[in-house]
Amino acid sequence: MPPHLSPLMAPVPPLLAAMAGFLVPGVRPKAPPLLAEAAALLSLALAIALALTMPPPMDAVSATMLLLVSFIGWVVVRFARTYLDGEPRRGVFIGWLCLTLAAVMLLVTAGDVIQLTGAWIVTSLFLHRLLLFYPGRVAARRAARKKFVTARIGDAALVGAALLLIATYGTVRIAPMLHAARSGAGGGLAIAAAGLLAIAAMLKSAQFPTHGWLTEVMETPTPVSALLHAGVINAGGFLLIRFADVMLLAPGVLAVLVIVGGFTALFGGLVMLTQPAVKTALAWSTVAQMGFMIFECGLALFPLALLHVVAHSLYKAHAFLSAGGAVEKVAAIHRPGPVAVPGVGAVGRAFLAALAIYALVGLGFGLTHKTPQAIALGAILIFGVAYMLAQGFADAAPVALTRRTAVYAVATSAGYFALQAAATALTSPTLPPAPSPGPLEWALIVLALFSFGLVAIAQAMFPLWAWHPAAAGLRVHLSNGLYANALMDRLLGGWSVRDAS
Amino acid sequence: MTAPINPSAIAAAADRAARMIPPLWPLASSVAVNPFLGQAHESLATAAARLSRVAGAAVTMPRAWYREKIRTGAITDQDLLDAWTRCGEARKPADVAALRADDAEPPPPRALPVVADLAAGASGIDWPGLIADRLGFWAAAWFDEGQALWSTHRAKSAYAAWRAVATHDLTPEIAGLAGFARHVADAPETAADAIARASATLGLTEAALETYFHRVLMTWGGWAQYARYHLWRAEAEGGTDPVVTDLLAIRLLWEEALFHQYHPRIADLWAGTLAAHAAPVEPTRDQVIDTILQDAAERAAQRALAATLAGAPSRIGPERPELQAAFCIDVRSEVFRRALESLDPGIRTLGFAGFFGMGTAHRPFASDIAERRLPVLLNPALGSRAGGEGDAAARVRARAKRAWGRFRAAAVSSFAFVEATGPIHAARLVCDAIGVHAGAADPEPAPRFEPEPDLPTRVGMAETVLRAMSLTTGFARLVLLAGHGATVVNNPHASALRCGACGGYSGEVNARLLSGLLNDPAVRGGLAARGIVIPADTLFVAALHDTTTDRVTLFDRDHASAAHRPDLDRARRWLARAGGLARAERALRLPRAGRGASIARRARDWAEIRPEWGLAGCDAFIAAPRSRTAGKRLAGRAFLHEYDWRRDEGFGVLELILTAPVVVASWISLQYYGSTVAPDVFGGGDKLLHNVTGGIGVVEGNGGLLRAGLPRQSVHDGERFVHDPLRLSVCIEAPREAITGVLRRHPSVRALFDQGWLHLFALDDAGQMAWRYQGGLAWEALTEARLPVAA
Repeated sequence: MPPHLSPLMAPVPPLLAAMAGFLVPGVRPKAPPLLAEAAALLSLALAIALALTMPPPMDAVSATMLLLVSFIGWVVVRFARTYLDGEPRRGVFIGWLCLTLAAVMLLVTAGDVIQLTGAWIVTSLFLHRLLLFYPGRVAARRAARKKFVTARIGDAALVGAALLLIATYGTVRIAPMLHAARSGAGGGLAIAAAGLLAIAAMLKSAQFPTHGWLTEVMETPTPVSALLHAGVINAGGFLLIRFADVMLLAPGVLAVLVIVGGFTALFGGLVMLTQPAVKTALAWSTVAQMGFMIFECGLALFPLALLHVVAHSLYKAHAFLSAGGAVEKVAAIHRPGPVAVPGVGAVGRAFLAALAIYALVGLGFGLTHKTPQAIALGAILIFGVAYMLAQGFADAAPVALTRRTAVYAVATSAGYFALQAAATALTSPTLPPAPSPGPLEWALIVLALFSFGLVAIAQAMFPLWAWHPAAAGLRVHLSNGLYANALMDRLLGGWSVRDAS
Repeated sequence: MTAPINPSAIAAAADRAARMIPPLWPLASSVAVNPFLGQAHESLATAAARLSRVAGAAVTMPRAWYREKIRTGAITDQDLLDAWTRCGEARKPADVAALRADDAEPPPPRALPVVADLAAGASGIDWPGLIADRLGFWAAAWFDEGQALWSTHRAKSAYAAWRAVATHDLTPEIAGLAGFARHVADAPETAADAIARASATLGLTEAALETYFHRVLMTWGGWAQYARYHLWRAEAEGGTDPVVTDLLAIRLLWEEALFHQYHPRIADLWAGTLAAHAAPVEPTRDQVIDTILQDAAERAAQRALAATLAGAPSRIGPERPELQAAFCIDVRSEVFRRALESLDPGIRTLGFAGFFGMGTAHRPFASDIAERRLPVLLNPALGSRAGGEGDAAARVRARAKRAWGRFRAAAVSSFAFVEATGPIHAARLVCDAIGVHAGAADPEPAPRFEPEPDLPTRVGMAETVLRAMSLTTGFARLVLLAGHGATVVNNPHASALRCGACGGYSGEVNARLLSGLLNDPAVRGGLAARGIVIPADTLFVAALHDTTTDRVTLFDRDHASAAHRPDLDRARRWLARAGGLARAERALRLPRAGRGASIARRARDWAEIRPEWGLAGCDAFIAAPRSRTAGKRLAGRAFLHEYDWRRDEGFGVLELILTAPVVVASWISLQYYGSTVAPDVFGGGDKLLHNVTGGIGVVEGNGGLLRAGLPRQSVHDGERFVHDPLRLSVCIEAPREAITGVLRRHPSVRALFDQGWLHLFALDDAGQMAWRYQGGLAWEALTEARLPVAA
């Protein structure tokens, strides 16, 4: 490895490819699509080299994020290379796509708050151009405008946070700040900075009630959605993970993150159930997943939040790019016959069995050494596994199906704990462990267990109540996302003809 | 206010408006539909006037497109004169000189405004946009086939279900439509009453009803078409479905509410709009000129077709062919058939509708769902299913997969899913990005009829099919029956590339059923008694032509025959070589296809939006013996139906061809036509923005209106149209009197020709285009002057 390897090198290839994109016009430019993919691959190679050598200021967090972003970047650029063939403004698309990618790379590898803030802002501005790739589309403009307003407030919060951090710690470099914060230094200014960071993160990661724009930005070619949902939207969580030590100084702020993130997770998850269009459902799923990640940050489980970012990005990039298969997927649902509906007894058995799996698998992975926050989070995930078991425990399900779902449930649990252990090991000591919970944290843990458990039970018994007339109104309100978006449209004049014409 | 209109007149107008809307099949089994189905009884010029009024749609290309063809000489003065002469419209230009002089681009057509448009003008609020959003929001959930886990309750009528939603939905009031939920709650209980009340509120006159209702239904976009499909299916099964008029009633409640809110400010404009709706539907001078130019363009293409058919006849092969292969009439098989026949004079191919006269409701392996694998104009008379071992185990696997899918999508479990399995998707991303896929699945077990028809029925089916194929003598040792399908991935419109005659499914099931029938010794015995003697050494083998990759799979294991091993091996070699030739020819038209070697890889590329061109370019339908067309380069643009009128006693087969395959071909041709000339109204939109909704269709972007028809990328390569929007030229080798007789008996088929939605030619005994159908059951001879000079 060359000794002068620097994280600043990773974004250079896409920057150059972007120039080629802007400079070569035409419907079928020969070089830019090829250059863009080559650049993305080169960045991926650089990311691997950087992760292996860890030149300063790289650490476990930035290395993980850079690997993730450059990998997703390659997949998306390669997809776009074929997908946009014959599109009249393809070069421009490649240009903005590569610029956005480069900006995200700069963001995740930033060693100082100046680079971080600057990259944060330009990422959003470049993305804005991609969201308006079809400037004639009224819906694209309406969504982009909401996103623009939200993002600028977030920018202001981040700039404020950066200034406070510089004032508090007397440096622009992030590593010394974190070092000082871990030893408890910071005081009121640091708490204020943590508050502003939380605001910036929540706005970036589409937390309720500012989620509206995210569910409406499918007005641009699919690769943009993939990059947005797998690359850019994570920036909020990344920010919190990056400044984990600072965030730990402000338990009140973390409590807000738990509440907002937890609510958004459950809210987004329920709304997703009602969405009949595949990309829209995926967007609501992202709202929910971002909520869950913010919730994990609020519980100070930063390594797990990072795992969530990585896992979700990989899943969501694939889900968006393969969304064209939805016709076949829906057709396949009906073929093997009716779904066996689990009754109350089956749901009860499923939850007991899930807890037993949790205990057994968890003990294998050293459950007793984990913090209460981590144990609670594991329990929440096990509620989800119970849903899988419940489907197999339904009275009408054949034994072979019960066996299969049980195998899936055990494999899922084992996979989760293995990944959790790996994430904790890989990020230690870069990321701080969760502190022992005080009364506030305990209250939040109980609240979270209760609400996630309630929704999980409701979910498992879903067919028994979802089509009850009493639930019809609830369905309408939820499918409209509780009108947060409609109100924001009204506020910003989203439906004004002036904007539309 | 005018006197109230008779409710039955309102209901009749609503029903007529509903039938103006073409049906839209769901994407899981989509077929091409003529978007002008509701206008087939009137001329293109009148349809232009109507669709301009109700949808702002043009039905011809921009003037510049024709001007360019005139400039390059593709359209000649004679074409213009002939088209002008044929035009019977009142407002046609005085002469061809006037026609040519008028080449300024006319203003784009504009639909008459609905109340929502006028309200937008008065209020500055984008009511049409908001309504489209709300209509799509509700309709997507109502028509959802299983995308959402939490679907809406289906039991009630669409109108009642919408009211239940709209009385809860706060969005319209947040956007500024005061009291909308109350308005809906207080609305009449039935759709018919709601339509009648709205008609009175809006002051509609009887003359204005039909086009206003049609206009209102057009604001539903593809949703109205999907509703029309429900009506179509219900009627095909002897019932009815009020869903289209339910949609009309729903949209009229919006009109009513906006009318109440903005009435004083829009009263004058609204009165003018109603007067315009009450006026008769008559084409403008510009619309007449456009249709004359369109006819001229078609005449130009017909000259080229006549020239191709006038080429030297192909060499004569041996008495008994070495190999016979029947393909679907689909234009894509023309390229492959020509390639295959070029390899050996002993190879003979023929064309027939790709369901091979079988067309069952077929239940695939481990499935409860009966697929209607036949033309949508027909109802399945028989059932079939894929048998074989392991059905139960396969179902458990499918159900476990489904349970996994629900685990992935449900509220709390989705977090567990992501954290436990997210990293696995890195591998899936790499595999899909570089196009590595698991090997192709084994073919399904051979299908069998269920219940099995008795022997006389089976013999009757076999006889009907063979006579309809004009295949009653000269059987080769090996006869392939090739259905077709298309290998694509990640493509919502995959079914549009499969076999339309098989209801949007691939064709191997029907081909395998027929080969089973024709190899059955008992059936052959019965056929011999009816004068069709199949030699004992003839083997029928089903095949599947993959139109994306031009590879042909043989299902020879259905009827293992050691004696035919050499025939099969040789056939496989020929098919492989023909595939290479066909790919090379297709690659010339397909972007980034090089010389054809990369075509197979493209078929598995998840980012590929132009895996093949489907039926783009289709412009002719020829029913004649293959010897008339063999060796002639029809460039994958012609449907070829085997037909020998000399063997068609009583012209029953001719009647079948004109009423079934020709009508289906017209639907395909006019779908391409409509998606090209009116992409905003009849086109499927931009593939880059497609968002599959409910598993049934696509919307662009976030939601809103369903998009029917072909996507832009299916008719356009980014630089030019790959489909010339030309109405189909049907060429039939048969006596004119026989053709006229069929038209006389089938008024709806005759209307297609009389109104110019199809052109009709009779071929003479040498297979040359000799007579043109003029409409009104009259023919004119094509004179030498109008025939092209062979270049």
